[in-house]
Amino acid sequence: MSRLATVRAAVTAVALVAGIVLVYFLPHADRIGYIKGSQLGVYFIAILGLNIVTGYTGQISLGHGAFMAIGGYTTAILVSEHGVRDLWTIPIAALVAGLAGFVVGVPALRLSGLYLALATFGLALAMPAILSWDKLDAVTKSGQEIQLFNSPHLLGKGFEDVHFLGRTLSFNHAVYYLTWGIALLLLAVAWLILRGAPGRAFRAVRDSELAATSSGVRVATYKTLAFAISAAYAGIAGSLFVIALAFADPQSFPATLSLTLIVGAAVAGLGSLWGVLAGAAFVQFLPDFAVHISKAQGVPDTVYGAALILIVLLLPTGVAGGLRRALSPLTTRLYTRSQSQ
Amino acid sequence: MSRVLFIATAALLALGIPVAFGGTQADPGITATSIHIGGTTPLSGSAQAFQSVAKGADAYFKYVNSRGGVNKRKINYEYLDDQYIPSETVRQTRVLVEDKDVFAIFNSLGTEQNEAIRPYLNTKDVPQLFVATGGTTFGRDSKQYPWTIAYQPTYIAEGAMYGAYIRRTSPKQKIAILYQNDSYGGDLVKGLERGLGPRKSNIVSRVSYAATDDNVQSQIAQLRSSKAGILMLFATPKFVIQAYQYVNGLGWKPKIFVNAVSSASNVMVLSSSQGKNKRVEGSISIVFLKDPNDPKWAKDPAVLLYRKIMKRYAKGSNIKDVYNLYGMSVAFTFVDALKHAGKNPTRASLMRAATHLNERNNPFLLPRMSVRTAANDHYPLDQARLQRWHNGRWISFGGLLKARS
Repeated sequence: MSRLATVRAAVTAVALVAGIVLVYFLPHADRIGYIKGSQLGVYFIAILGLNIVTGYTGQISLGHGAFMAIGGYTTAILVSEHGVRDLWTIPIAALVAGLAGFVVGVPALRLSGLYLALATFGLALAMPAILSWDKLDAVTKSGQEIQLFNSPHLLGKGFEDVHFLGRTLSFNHAVYYLTWGIALLLLAVAWLILRGAPGRAFRAVRDSELAATSSGVRVATYKTLAFAISAAYAGIAGSLFVIALAFADPQSFPATLSLTLIVGAAVAGLGSLWGVLAGAAFVQFLPDFAVHISKAQGVPDTVYGAALILIVLLLPTGVAGGLRRALSPLTTRLYTRSQSQ
Repeated sequence: MSRVLFIATAALLALGIPVAFGGTQADPGITATSIHIGGTTPLSGSAQAFQSVAKGADAYFKYVNSRGGVNKRKINYEYLDDQYIPSETVRQTRVLVEDKDVFAIFNSLGTEQNEAIRPYLNTKDVPQLFVATGGTTFGRDSKQYPWTIAYQPTYIAEGAMYGAYIRRTSPKQKIAILYQNDSYGGDLVKGLERGLGPRKSNIVSRVSYAATDDNVQSQIAQLRSSKAGILMLFATPKFVIQAYQYVNGLGWKPKIFVNAVSSASNVMVLSSSQGKNKRVEGSISIVFLKDPNDPKWAKDPAVLLYRKIMKRYAKGSNIKDVYNLYGMSVAFTFVDALKHAGKNPTRASLMRAATHLNERNNPFLLPRMSVRTAANDHYPLDQARLQRWHNGRWISFGGLLKARS
């Protein structure tokens, strides 16, 4: 094993351990707690998924909130109407949302850049109305609030202690560990996909479709695949969102949610997994921070906007890009040395 | 032997448990010197105009605290932003109850928002006090949700007042309705029909909009084509302001009724484009609070107190914003309930006090109005007057009417 590979493996291992330790201690921090910590995990999963299609494959999606809605509603309907145990609805939500992502991915082949972004944003705009549509009453309860609270099919009925492996956890703790357990698993899956042949194909499609095609990469297949995987991630995020609140309604997934996710992905740094936690933290805690600065009318929204402009100016390639630049003296040396050996 | 052991254990448990857990164990959020309550309000997002409902209440609590609090307890009112999105209301309410250990949820805003948190609070036996919405369900369904209590007159009652007035004064006029497509708009329409009684058939057109819509231009055009002589605006401020502009632009001259949610005088001034839009003249609404912008109350002690509190405890807020005064009124009622909840209030004793109010001295309400509740009466405010907009201000007419559905 070359020295470079050893160092990279060591850095990854240290980062992973640091991440797990951080996740363990995060809720103990003042003003965070397990409830917001779980929501952070939901954003983490959705942004991770969005990064696969937008960051690695270069297909801008402004509609991932809609895939969260599909996943969330899959869980809400299965638990409330069909008595399915909540944990089992998570893979089903992934499947349904992934399928929806595939369906959206096919027409998306004809669009690129700004036009694809607009088309996906259309989906985000329409989703609350689709969920409220009375013709879909049998499936979505036409926009009424769905209360899962007190449902026997929900983890601790949505509020009671949960018994797991002989230990007793409060509901909020259980949801937190469930969310982050799944999040870390999905991080590993994303890493495995992206470091292998599919990841190379995704990046080839992003960098030059022409070059990718002439190298034998089937562009259409990989674009739709990226959309499907990414949407499945969003579906899982939506499912966990609903389980944590024991509640769903169309307004939970407004068009602004899709924008929030793309903001998180941009802050994280597109095309890298290193910044996803920072991106999720940005969108989760900035609104709280903005209200903390001042509650005067109009100020929180302004602070949010100003902070966004500032971070894009300071970190034009996101947190991941910033990390790369900050560490570049070290990595450059490692690269040159390993090559000379 | 095992039987003896069993009895001994049972006896020990029976004696031991009350020692360990019973008696004087206090509910969360209350100490000898403070009581911590919380609620949600839109501090950001499209409905942020309503945030003054929380800010006015907060200013009043700070004023009460400066005078020693209630039974030497300072009231710490923590209101969090829910962006007017019900799922955020659920999350923030859980944060308040479970992470911040609040004693009670107070004055959270919005019909669907309060419906979203009601099962949770009632399961956890946390008081959901004086919800900031006129949704009829909060008063009506008190048997199913004993920990929830309403505050303002219900939307059904408000609609019925308009219906009864129309039936009496213009029984032949055709009626067109603009309403929000949720339970808030639906309740107002239901009330209007009830008040119209046999004249219900005068309603010739009803068109709805969604809270997430951009504007109501096409809705107003559609309503106009009905040639109705009366237009009901059952909509939130943004859409009411638009509706007045579109009605004027189309040259339509109906008699307009505007719901109380959007008839605050500061909103009416915006609707009239600072007095330029004559369609606003003669509009009718209901009122139950003293309007701080009305010269009639300029020397009233309650309005003077309102101005003093706003200047001292809500610096930078807009004093003309009537929702602040609504907040003070509901905060006054909370203080009243807390005073009657005993020396060492529990959640149960506070709920009992809130459902046994007989408050005749709330200075922010119209004269002779009272706040009365009972175990089976979770409607604190059930009176209001009609008012007509004339020359840039509201003039109330007729007596105090029963607003009860």
